Amino acid sequence: MTISLTIDTATSRTIVGLIDGEDILFEESHEGATDHGRAVSELVTRALRVNSTPDQVIVGMGPGPYTGLRVGIAFAQSFALARDIPYFGICTLDAIEVDQDNYTVAIDARRKEIYWATYQDGQRIAGPEVSKPNEAPPHIFGYFPSSLMMVKLAMKQNFKELFYLRRPDAVPTAERT
Amino acid sequence: MSHSQSQPLVLGIETSCDETAIGIVRGRTLLANEIASSVEEHARFGGVVPEIASRAHLEAMLPGIERALKDAKVSLNDLDAISVTAGPGLVGALLVGTASASGLAQGLGIPLYGVNHLAAHISVDYLTHDLPTDPTIALLVSGGHSSLLQVNDITGSITKLGSTMDDAAGEAFDKIARILNLGFPGGPAIDLDAKSGNPSAIDFPRGLTTSNDWATRPYDFSFSGLKTAVARYIESAPAHIRADVSASFQEAVVDVLLLKALAACKSTGIDSLVIAGGVAANSRLREVATERCAKVGIALRIPAPGLCTDNGAMVAALGSLMLSAGRSATIGAFDADSSLPVERVSLT
Repeated sequence: MTISLTIDTATSRTIVGLIDGEDILFEESHEGATDHGRAVSELVTRALRVNSTPDQVIVGMGPGPYTGLRVGIAFAQSFALARDIPYFGICTLDAIEVDQDNYTVAIDARRKEIYWATYQDGQRIAGPEVSKPNEAPPHIFGYFPSSLMMVKLAMKQNFKELFYLRRPDAVPTAERT
Repeated sequence: MSHSQSQPLVLGIETSCDETAIGIVRGRTLLANEIASSVEEHARFGGVVPEIASRAHLEAMLPGIERALKDAKVSLNDLDAISVTAGPGLVGALLVGTASASGLAQGLGIPLYGVNHLAAHISVDYLTHDLPTDPTIALLVSGGHSSLLQVNDITGSITKLGSTMDDAAGEAFDKIARILNLGFPGGPAIDLDAKSGNPSAIDFPRGLTTSNDWATRPYDFSFSGLKTAVARYIESAPAHIRADVSASFQEAVVDVLLLKALAACKSTGIDSLVIAGGVAANSRLREVATERCAKVGIALRIPAPGLCTDNGAMVAALGSLMLSAGRSATIGAFDADSSLPVERVSLT
């Protein structure tokens, strides 16, 4: 079977998994919104002790707070390059398992906002978007992506770009007052 | 195996500001120096926007690594170590580099050195000049830093003699260029404009050079007073000649940098000076430094202009020197340190 190394850093949690088909060989997480750099490296080291030769890398492309999100993607793509194996980008919100048919799921976007998406019968029908919580549909909050789900998603999606839903905060010199 | 092949092959990654730079060295031989800059995306904001820089780093990283390998005619599996700027710099920008470096090092199963950006600026000189056996004084001048250092051993022992109390020298160039409508980045623009000006047309102040300053903080710099003086001059003299302002401002910066660097050489008895960092690419600084060092018998070394600004070769060079010196690699995982002090050459 294909062994997948999964990495997601779109939430405050760094989540690393090692999945063989439908078997979870390894899945661990580290909580800490500014710890992604150190945590990815440590968790991958532990995962590789279980199996040191994954066949592919699957990484969450967000949406999520950008600084941490980029850490997971940067690590995943250069690890894949070093091993000469493929990597696939998936939508992190899609990888959050919710035991309902119709729902909206949200994760923290900082600045008192959330990233959210709405699903109906397993399909994303709205989002991902960023907004104030009260401007989004009623939503489930506090869930995290699943490594197994990431592997399933990678069979049908491969996002090359991370979900940048906000523009950089900066005002051109010419427009300053 | 030939002698050169036995030297360690190191890939260096630099992302502390707006340049995504990848360098490859074998020992002290430069094999590749790839630089992708997001400077044009920042120009309309008058300075580097951290989020724009970080986005550009991630986009440029893999293509940069692949181009560098191609230029160097080596493959990833040939590498002996990865070296990466761990700080100081913009934290979001640094993290793209450190995460990429960790992914490469872990994927390849080779050591990773998290090194200091400032020490790397100085170390790039050893790609062109011999390693000093004795300590050297280093003047490190860039857009983010201005310091005078005593380098005892580039792989582990650097002492700070002084640094700027306000703006960095390169920052002063950027600010004056903005006042003179010369655009961003200001260093190359002022350098060019000054060529047709008179450097002694206006007597701008040399910061921290009173007798009291020489007694209490001889190796510190201050450029904010100079910036104010230039702004006031322009207001008071609407008919000023811009090139004269550029040349005179530049002369004031160059003069004070060299006054203090040579004073440090004299008082420490060290007759060797390295000038490094982006401002070391300034043609007037190079010219005056050459003249003044020759006059007092100080061996001056300045890297080629292309190696003064941020680049990956300097990071690879420091990694290679550390590996050769038997310095241990950075153990396990580490985070970028946006305010890494210059005395910490590497994270070990």
